[in-house]
Amino acid sequence: MNNKTPDSSRQLIQKKLARRYRTEKWFRRLGAMAVLISIAFLGILLVTIVGKGSSAFQQTFVKLDIHFDAEVLDVKNLSRANYPGLVKSNLRSLFPEVKGRRDKKKLYNLVSNGAAFQLQDMVMGDTSIIGRTKSVWVPASDDVDLFFKGKISRDVVESNRRIKDIQLKWIDRLQTENRIEKRLNTTFFTAGDSRDPELAGIRGALSGTILTLIVTLALSFPIGVATAVYLEEFAPKNKWTDIIEVNINNLAAVPSIVFGLLGLAVYINFFGLPRSVPLVGGLVLTLMTLPTIIISGRAALKAVPPSIREAALGIGASRMQMVMHHVLPLAMPGMLTGTIIGMAQALGETAPLLTIGMVAFIVDIPGSFIDPATVMPVQIYLWADSPERAFVEKTSAAIMILLLFLISMNAVAVFLRKKFEKSW
Amino acid sequence: MKRKLAAIAAAAIFAVSAGSANAARDYVSVVGSSTVYPFATVVAEQFGKTTKFKTPKIESTGSGGGMKLFCSGIGIQHPDMTNSSRRIKKSEFDQCQANGVQDVVEVKIGYDGIVLANSKKTAPFQLTRKDIFLALAKDVPDPSGAEKLIPNPYKTWHDVNPSLPDTKIEVLGPPPTSGTRDAFVELAMEGGGKNFPWIKAMKKVDKKRYKAICHTVREDGAYIEAGENDNLIVQKLEANPNAVGIFGFSFLDQNSDFIQGSFIDGVEPTFEEIADGKYPVSRPLYFYVKKSHVDIIPGMEGFLEEFSSEKAWGEEGYLTDRGLIPMPDAERKQMHDDVKQLRPLEM
Amino acid sequence: MSSSLLLIVLLVLTLVGYILGRRRAVAMAGVAGGSATLHSRPAYYGLLTALWCGLPTFVLFLIWQFTEPAIIKGLVVAGLPPEMQKLPANRLGLVFNEIRILTGGSLVSGTRDAVIQAAADHYLHLKNLGSWIRGGTLFVLGLGAISILCSRITTEMRARNRVEKISRMILLFCSTIAIFTTVGIILSVLFEALRFFQTIPLTDFLFGLKWSPQMAIRADQVGSSGAFGAVPVLAGTMMITAIAMSVAVPIGLMAAVYLSEYATKKVRTVAKPLLEILAGIPTVVYGFFAALTVAPFIRESGGLLGLDVSSESAIAAGLVMGIMIIPFVSSLSDDVIHAVPQAMRDASLGLGATHSETIRLVVLPAALPGIVGGVLLAVSRAIGETMIVVMAAGLSANLTANPLKAVTTVTVQIVTLLVGDQEFDSPKTLAAFALGLLLFVVTLILNVIALVVVRKYREQYE
Repeated sequence: MNNKTPDSSRQLIQKKLARRYRTEKWFRRLGAMAVLISIAFLGILLVTIVGKGSSAFQQTFVKLDIHFDAEVLDVKNLSRANYPGLVKSNLRSLFPEVKGRRDKKKLYNLVSNGAAFQLQDMVMGDTSIIGRTKSVWVPASDDVDLFFKGKISRDVVESNRRIKDIQLKWIDRLQTENRIEKRLNTTFFTAGDSRDPELAGIRGALSGTILTLIVTLALSFPIGVATAVYLEEFAPKNKWTDIIEVNINNLAAVPSIVFGLLGLAVYINFFGLPRSVPLVGGLVLTLMTLPTIIISGRAALKAVPPSIREAALGIGASRMQMVMHHVLPLAMPGMLTGTIIGMAQALGETAPLLTIGMVAFIVDIPGSFIDPATVMPVQIYLWADSPERAFVEKTSAAIMILLLFLISMNAVAVFLRKKFEKSW
Repeated sequence: MKRKLAAIAAAAIFAVSAGSANAARDYVSVVGSSTVYPFATVVAEQFGKTTKFKTPKIESTGSGGGMKLFCSGIGIQHPDMTNSSRRIKKSEFDQCQANGVQDVVEVKIGYDGIVLANSKKTAPFQLTRKDIFLALAKDVPDPSGAEKLIPNPYKTWHDVNPSLPDTKIEVLGPPPTSGTRDAFVELAMEGGGKNFPWIKAMKKVDKKRYKAICHTVREDGAYIEAGENDNLIVQKLEANPNAVGIFGFSFLDQNSDFIQGSFIDGVEPTFEEIADGKYPVSRPLYFYVKKSHVDIIPGMEGFLEEFSSEKAWGEEGYLTDRGLIPMPDAERKQMHDDVKQLRPLEM
Repeated sequence: MSSSLLLIVLLVLTLVGYILGRRRAVAMAGVAGGSATLHSRPAYYGLLTALWCGLPTFVLFLIWQFTEPAIIKGLVVAGLPPEMQKLPANRLGLVFNEIRILTGGSLVSGTRDAVIQAAADHYLHLKNLGSWIRGGTLFVLGLGAISILCSRITTEMRARNRVEKISRMILLFCSTIAIFTTVGIILSVLFEALRFFQTIPLTDFLFGLKWSPQMAIRADQVGSSGAFGAVPVLAGTMMITAIAMSVAVPIGLMAAVYLSEYATKKVRTVAKPLLEILAGIPTVVYGFFAALTVAPFIRESGGLLGLDVSSESAIAAGLVMGIMIIPFVSSLSDDVIHAVPQAMRDASLGLGATHSETIRLVVLPAALPGIVGGVLLAVSRAIGETMIVVMAAGLSANLTANPLKAVTTVTVQIVTLLVGDQEFDSPKTLAAFALGLLLFVVTLILNVIALVVVRKYREQYE
C-alpha cells in the first residue's frame, strides 16, 4: 500500500470503490429499514385497534315476547306510556321465581334501557300492534354484552365481577332457550351518541365530521393554493414577503386550541354564528390547516424547475398563463400531499373544537351545517373518557371508522396525485 | 381540474348559504364540568328519547369555562344551564349580575365520591387521612415532634406509617386545575393535617398559612399529575401494581375487577358508605339554571323536571347506577321544590 | 327563493355570461376578419364577463346574508307592542327567539299568546319578501353586468390583462387571510395575557424556574406555591420536540429517499399513502400506546440497566410523537425529492458518483428548502400536540435535562388550564394566554432563524 507504484493508486481507488459501494448498500438498506419501521409501527397500531374494536360490530340481543298491553298503552298518550314496565313485566314472567327488590333490579339489568325506547318506537310506528303479543329482539345491557363477548370472565370471584352469579344462571337459561344471541350491531352505524354503550352509534359524529370537513376543504384548499401561488410566483421578493413567510410558518406552530379561541372570538362572538355547529368547526379548522397547505404548496412550487417557467415565458405566455398552465399542474402533487396531511390533521383534532362547543353530547344526527354536531375525534375522546367499560371497544371501533374515512379520503387525493405526477 | 373546481364551488355554495341562516335555537344548551357531564348526559338522553323535545346539548368545557359562558349574558347564543363540580364563586356571580343574568338558580344534584385505589394484584391500602396528608403534602411536620415543617422526606408508604407496605409512594392524580383535586386536598389532606394539634391551632391564627400547609401537594415526583382521563389512570394502575390512583367513584365501580378502593379511616369506598356520609372524601355536584330562559327555551322545564325527579337522582334512580351518590331524602325533596319554584340564588 | 337555490341560479347566470362573452368576442372577430384580430383568446372575454357577473353578485349576496337578519329583527320588533319593545336588548333577543322557534314549527313549552303568534307571521312574511327582493336584485345586477360588458367587447379590448389583474387581486386577497389570522390570534391572546401580567410580573414569568399553578380554585382557599415560571415548561417542550424530531427526521427522511430514489413505482404507490395514515390516527390512540405500551417498556428496560425511570417520561411521549409525525417529513420530502430534475441525477451519476453519493451531495441539497419546510411543519405539529404528552409524560413541570423524567409542554399546560374547573379570571386560567403568547414569540424566533439558515445553505440548482 505504501509503495508508490502505478498500480497502487488503482488499488487505492478500487479499495475506495469497494467502500463506496458498501456505503451505497448500507444507505439503501437504511432507507428500506426506515420505511419498514414506519410501516411496522402502523401495523402495530392497526392491529391493536382492530383487536380491541372488532367485537363492537357485534351486539348481544335478547328475545322477549312482549305483550303490548292495551291497558298500559293508552292510545291518546302513547309517548308517556310505561314502556320500561312492559319490558320488566316480561322479564318477570320469564323468571317468575325472582323475588325481592335487589334481585329484581339485577334481573332488569340484563336488558338495555334501549329496549323500552325500541318498544316505544314500535308502538308509535304502528299502533295496530297494541293488544297483540310479539317476539322482539332487544339489546342486552352492556355488562351482559361484555360477558357474552368473553370480556368478563366467569372465573373471577363474584364480588369482583360485574355480572353476578345469579345473573349468570339467568343468562345460561336464556341461552338454552335460544333467547340470547350475538348479531350484527347495526345500531352502531345508524344511531347518534348515547350514554349506554349498547345504544351508542357513530353516525352523528360521522355526519358531523363530513359536514365539517366539507367546509374545511372547500375553503382551505383554494385559499391555500391561491396564497401559495401568490407568495411564490407573484409577490415581490422583499422584507414584506419574508415577514409573511415567517408568519405563515409560525402559524403552523400555534397550538390548535388557540385557533379555537380565535374562532370563538371572531365567528361566534363577532359574527354571531351559533355554537357547536359544523360550519364554525370547519372555519376554525380551515384557519388551522391553511399554514400546512400553504407551506407544502410553496415547497412544491419551489421544486418546479425554472426551465419550465422560462420555456413557457419564452414562447410568449403571460406570467399568469405560465403559472396556471404549467407550474401549478406540476406542483399539484405536492400541494395535494399538503392537503392530505392538513386534512388528516383536521380530521384528528379535538382541542380547537372545545372552545367553540363541539366537544358535546349530541344525540340528534346533524343534517345541515348549522345543526349542533360533534366530530369523530371528539366522540372518540369522549368515549375513551367514559367510565362504562363497554365503551373501550366502541372507542376502538370508532377509530376504525375514522381511519376508513381517512383512507378513502386519501385514496381520492392519491389518485389525483398520481394523475398529476411527472418526472423530468 | 375544472370538474374539481366545480365540486369545490358547489360545496362552498352550500357552506355559505347555510352559514347565513343562523337558526333559532329549539333545544336546551348546557355547558360545564366534565365531572357532571356523565350524569347530565344520561338525563338528557332519557329526556330526549321519552319526550318530543330535542335532546339537550351538553358540552364538556370544565366548570370555569362553563361559568364564563353561562355568565356572559341572556339570550339564545348563551347557554341555559351550566354544570359545576364546585359552587359558583362570588366573582362569577357578580359577573353574571353585571351581564344581566339576574336570576340564577342553584341546584345540587348529589355527591361524587373521590377514591384512592390500587391494583387488585396487591393488598388494599388501609389509610387514614393523616397518612394521606403525610404521604402527599409538600411540607410535613418534623417527624421528631418539633412544631416546624420540613420538606416531605417520606419515600415509601412504610415511612409514613409502619403498618403500611414498604412500596414507593406513587400516586396518580388530577392536576391542580381540576375540581377533583381541589376537593381531594380539602377533604382528605386538610382532614389529615388537622390531626396535628399545632397545625389545627393555626387555623384560627393564621388561616392562610394553615391552608397553605394542608393544600399544597408535593412536587418531587411522588404525586404524578396524570391528566383528567380517569380510564387511563385505571389502566396505569393495572400495569403498575405499586401505584395508587385518585379518581371519581364511578370509575372504581365500573372497574371493580381490576382495582380496589383504599379504606380511608377504616371505611371502604362503597356506594352505601359514601351515601351514608361515613366515607369522608366526597363532594357535592351542582348545576345552575337561568330562570329567564326556563319558559322560553323549548323543553327546558321538562328537562329540569326530569333531572330532579326521583327516578333520576333518587336512591334507586338511574343516576345512581352511573355512580352518582344521592343526597339524603330531605335534601332531595328540598332541592326538588327549589327547582319547581326556581328559587334564585342569593350571594 | 332559498339561499342555495339562488346561488345555483347565480352560478348558472355566470356560466351564461361566460358563453355570451365568448360568443360576442368570436362574433366581433368574425366581423373584423378572423380570430387573429382579437387581442386575447375568446375564452378570456368569456371569463371577464363571468367575473363581472359573478363577483359583484356574490359579494352582495354575502353582505345581504349578514345584514338581513338584523333588519328583519328590527322590523319585527318594531311591530311588537310598545311594552314589549321596552324590554332590555337581551330579553328582547329571547322573545325574538321565541318568535322564530314558532315559525320553525318546533315544539314550545307553555302556551304562546296572540302577540307572539302575530309577530311570528309577520316574521315569516318579511323573510319571504326579503328573499324575493334579494333574488330579484341579484339577478338583475348579474344580468346588467353581463349586458354592459357584452356591449363593450371589441377586438381591441385587453381582456386577458383584465382577467389576470382580477385573478391577481383574488390571489392577493387570499394571501392576506393568513395575516389576518395572525393578527386575530395575537389580539385574542394579548389582552388576557396582559391581565395575567398585572398579577404576575413579566420577569417572574419569563425567568422563573418553577412552574406550579397550585393556586386556590376558590377565593376562600389559599393555595400556596402558585409559581408561574415558564422556563421548565418551555424546556419540556423543547425536550419532547427534540426527542420526537430525532425519531421523525432520520426515519422520515430515509423513508422519503428510499421511496423516491430506490423503491419501485409499485412500492412507492403503496407505501407512501400507508405512511400518511400515521398522521391521521387519532392522537388518543398514540396516547394509549405511549402510556400503556411504550412507557412501561422503557421503565422496565431502564430498570434492568439500573436507571431510575419515572412512570411518565419525556422519552415515551417523544418517541411516540416522533412516529406520528414521520409522514410530515417523509411525504413532503418525498415530493420535493421527486421533483428534483432528473438531469441533475444523470449528470452526477455520469460523473461516476454512486447513487447514494448523488442523493447526499446533489439531490438533497437541491431539495433542501422543501425538506426544511416539511421538518418545520413536523416541529410545529410536535409543539402543538397535547394528548400524547398528557397521557404519557404527565403534567408535572420539572426542569430537567433527563429524558427519563416527567416533563410537560406549553400546549399541554394551555389546554389543561383552559378546561380546568377554576374560575375564569384567576391567574391560573390567564396563564394559559400568557403561555400562548410566549409560545408564539418563541416559535417566531425559531422560524426567523430557520429562514436565515435556509437562505444561507440553500443550493440554487439552476
